[in-house]
Amino acid sequence: MLEAFVTGLSNGLIYAVVAVGLALIWGITDVINFAHGDFLMLGMYAAYWMFTLGHVDPTLAAPIAACALGFVGFLAYALIIRPLQRGPVMIVILATFGLGLVLRQLAFIFFSPDYRNLPDTWLSGGIRLAGVSLGRPQVVTGLVSLVVIGVLFVLVYRTRWGSALQAVAEDRQAASLVGIASDRVNAQVWMLGSAMVGLAGALLTTFFYVFPSVGAVFGLLSFVAVAMGGFGSLPGAFLSGILIGVIEAMTGYLIAPAFKTASVFVAFLLVLWYRPRGLFGRW
Amino acid sequence: MSRTGAAVLALAVVLLAAFPLVVGDPFYQQVVVMMLMYGALGAAWNLVGGFLGRVSFGHAVFLGLGAYTTLLLLRTHVTPWLGIPVGGLVAAAIAFVVGRPTLRLSGHYFAMATLALLAMTHVLVVNWSWAGGAVGLEAPIANNAWLLLFRSRAPYYWIAFVLALFTLCATFALARAKAGYYWRAINGDEAAARSLGVPADRYKMLAFALSAALTGAWGGFYSIYIGFIDPDSAFNLTLSIQIVLVAILGGVGTIIGPWLGAALLIPLAEGTRIAMGGSGSGLDLLLYGLAIILVSLFLPSGLVTLRLRRGAARR
Amino acid sequence: MKKLMVVLIACLGMPLAQAALAQDNVIRIGAIYPLSGALASTGSELKQAIELAVDVINKPHPELKDIPLAAGAGLPHLGGAKVEVVFADSQGKPEVGQAEAQRLIDQEHVVALIGAYQSAVTKTTSRIAEQRAMPFLNPESSSPDLTERGYKWFFRTTPNDETFIGNMMQFLDEVKAVPTKKIGVVYENTDFGVNTYKALQDFAKRSGREIVVNVAYAAGTASVNSESQKLAAAKPDVAIFASYTSDALLFVRTMREMNYAPPIFLANDAGFIDSRFVSEVGPQVQGVLTRDVWANDLYTIKPVIKQLNDLFKSRSGGKELNGNSARSLQGMLVLADAIDRAGSTKPDAIRQALASTNLDADRIVMPWAGVKFDSKGQNEKGQGLILQLEGDGYHTVWPDRYKQMKNLPVLPFTWKH
Repeated sequence: MLEAFVTGLSNGLIYAVVAVGLALIWGITDVINFAHGDFLMLGMYAAYWMFTLGHVDPTLAAPIAACALGFVGFLAYALIIRPLQRGPVMIVILATFGLGLVLRQLAFIFFSPDYRNLPDTWLSGGIRLAGVSLGRPQVVTGLVSLVVIGVLFVLVYRTRWGSALQAVAEDRQAASLVGIASDRVNAQVWMLGSAMVGLAGALLTTFFYVFPSVGAVFGLLSFVAVAMGGFGSLPGAFLSGILIGVIEAMTGYLIAPAFKTASVFVAFLLVLWYRPRGLFGRW
Repeated sequence: MSRTGAAVLALAVVLLAAFPLVVGDPFYQQVVVMMLMYGALGAAWNLVGGFLGRVSFGHAVFLGLGAYTTLLLLRTHVTPWLGIPVGGLVAAAIAFVVGRPTLRLSGHYFAMATLALLAMTHVLVVNWSWAGGAVGLEAPIANNAWLLLFRSRAPYYWIAFVLALFTLCATFALARAKAGYYWRAINGDEAAARSLGVPADRYKMLAFALSAALTGAWGGFYSIYIGFIDPDSAFNLTLSIQIVLVAILGGVGTIIGPWLGAALLIPLAEGTRIAMGGSGSGLDLLLYGLAIILVSLFLPSGLVTLRLRRGAARR
Repeated sequence: MKKLMVVLIACLGMPLAQAALAQDNVIRIGAIYPLSGALASTGSELKQAIELAVDVINKPHPELKDIPLAAGAGLPHLGGAKVEVVFADSQGKPEVGQAEAQRLIDQEHVVALIGAYQSAVTKTTSRIAEQRAMPFLNPESSSPDLTERGYKWFFRTTPNDETFIGNMMQFLDEVKAVPTKKIGVVYENTDFGVNTYKALQDFAKRSGREIVVNVAYAAGTASVNSESQKLAAAKPDVAIFASYTSDALLFVRTMREMNYAPPIFLANDAGFIDSRFVSEVGPQVQGVLTRDVWANDLYTIKPVIKQLNDLFKSRSGGKELNGNSARSLQGMLVLADAIDRAGSTKPDAIRQALASTNLDADRIVMPWAGVKFDSKGQNEKGQGLILQLEGDGYHTVWPDRYKQMKNLPVLPFTWKH
């Protein structure tokens, strides 16, 4: 049972780092980015190609993938999200859905639908931790996630810039009244959130396969993590991600793997029953 | 609704009624049936998503419930004439049960909760072997009006048309009725509405249940039309999002909006797939995605605004 | 409003533009496969295999002498008419497949349909064919239900899961190196996986074996730790997998990291024979066994296998034929042969010709006893093979008469680090 719990934690950290990037964008710019999973996919492909063509290990490729995705996030914001901010809220959802589809199809066309798997990289192999065998890539990814999220928290909760983000999230108009350029903040948030998921994607390639629709595998659960943690709460998204990983693993162990995701949704609905704003939601 | 608007609508209804008499090609009939279905699903969704303002991403769960009910009843030799309405009722009943805890959630949470419901139901049905499990349920092939099973597509067209007309009238009537006004009040400012005496809880539930009922009935139609359902096709997230897309694209909160949205999205999806899908190049879906982005950029308030820009009244 | 009308007309006009004029000298067949979506990589291989079959039929290939229609160009009984396949993308969805089936019949005026790999899509597409009295040939779907529907127009060349699982048990009966009594089944919760499991329940009992654990999982899951752990905990002698490529990749990775090696690692085809699987994780999972219907090392017994594989390799950029693509190829050849024997494009004539198909082992490309459909439309002469991954490809280990490498099978299965 310990094994299940520990692997759950390890998986959970992955969900967490994907969710936090989404939570950042969702919480501060109030946009549900349906293309988030596809950003992850792009990060994965970036690392894959850097390894296959340039022999760059994913651990080194990760920061590069992060920058690349940051740029993609910026473009998405500038070209699609910003023009639509003035319109009805829901049209942005439509647009991000279209964006996700476009990204997936571009990957399909340029990279082919074939599944790709990295052969052994620096991180490959297993570790035994307290009698539980874990994959080394997952452990390292988990640790890096922790570090990255930690850095993010410091940025958001301990710096002036972070305070500006929170201000924009709380009340956009009031924030601009005190001189915070909310447009610039939005762009930065999109860049940061996308960079995070690009990093996550790069690390994922050390133990997960890549193909154009891989975003769907992690996408839905990251949305649930953000909602369960509460909108506007980054720690919430982080903790929920981990919680989801643990719930999945424990259900797989105690009940049956077939109900893994169902129990996550049940847990989510239960959380909402008792706390209608998620675990730590602010609004 | 303006006089010209009503005239255009009446013309559209007549044209659609006459369509299969003029165009005998089952393929085109199929495309129009899908348009009618998605338009209706969008219109039903609109009751909750547009009028009430609660975006539901998991609406396909009601479609699936209706579909499964109808086919399961058919398996016990109950005709879909009954099965389809019962499917709607079952969906409404489930909506009633899950509505209580979910409707008090605010916007984003409600959206995610409906998604969770959809995903959960999918897993439950996959593991329920009596209901076919992962393998799904198939309707027998027959040419039997009592069983609403036909070999050709044309009779299904009529059924879809009648159902669509019913959906349109229902949404129209509801929008004009007290319910519609209450919904819009709740959408605008729930607290204020309550303070003015609007029985918010009851009306929110009404919107949810009615929307579910219509969606469920269409699910029943869908099941006998395709003749086969399995958890993946009945409780499908993409379908669920398509419904939302259709409504948003057409114009959220308008009566005609979803029908316009379906009239554009469905032929677009079909057209791109036919033109390019067979090559496997992926271009068809790329174009579809680009079209969605472009339409949202240029028509952020939906297709409805194409008409309204020229007219005077808004909504 | 005008803009809207223009857009609508354009969208509806596209299919009109596609409606080709029926030509006298061309026989059109509709093929429905998942050319996009999660199974696109397999779908595109199947498409290439069918295109190869069309090439074999339409162009003279004297080197493939015994295969019907290969030697000459076109269909002799129809005045040398050429076969043209119109492909449609099912997107992996039953309802899309159905719409495409309809379109192929009504707009593209095909005389028969072939497809659709996934059992769920085959169900809906063949339903349309049955309703419209159009012959439907299914080369790849293994779900037994497909031939239990009482359809008259449905013909399936591939054996179904009952044959295949039976073959697996026969193979296990012959394994003496390690015990084979306790079976663990890991299967995706879809039509394919569930049918594999059902057949296994039946055959395990018949062959005196016990299923000690069954692990159903949702396809496309993010992690398979729970599933692998559950399997490992039950300590089965034989672990049987029914998974498509993505999950197969994940299982291999996970089990390797856990260092859990079932003594017999046996797959039911699908993802494990995908060329991507073999090329991506082949070196890591040497020794995995799979049920298949095709093996490229059988060319010493059937030279045509190598000939076709070489042709396929040159057309597909180096990919080899596998059980999936070879079956599509065979299905196309059988269908074309039936149309030729019918000497007509009338559906009923084609149906009769299909029903009376009786091809011997040397006139087909698959290593089967032949192609002959029973009253339910099921080919009763097909059979499966058991292969083991050794080096950079799969090699036959069962039936014994086909085994080339005498040291196989290498058991028990262990991970190579």
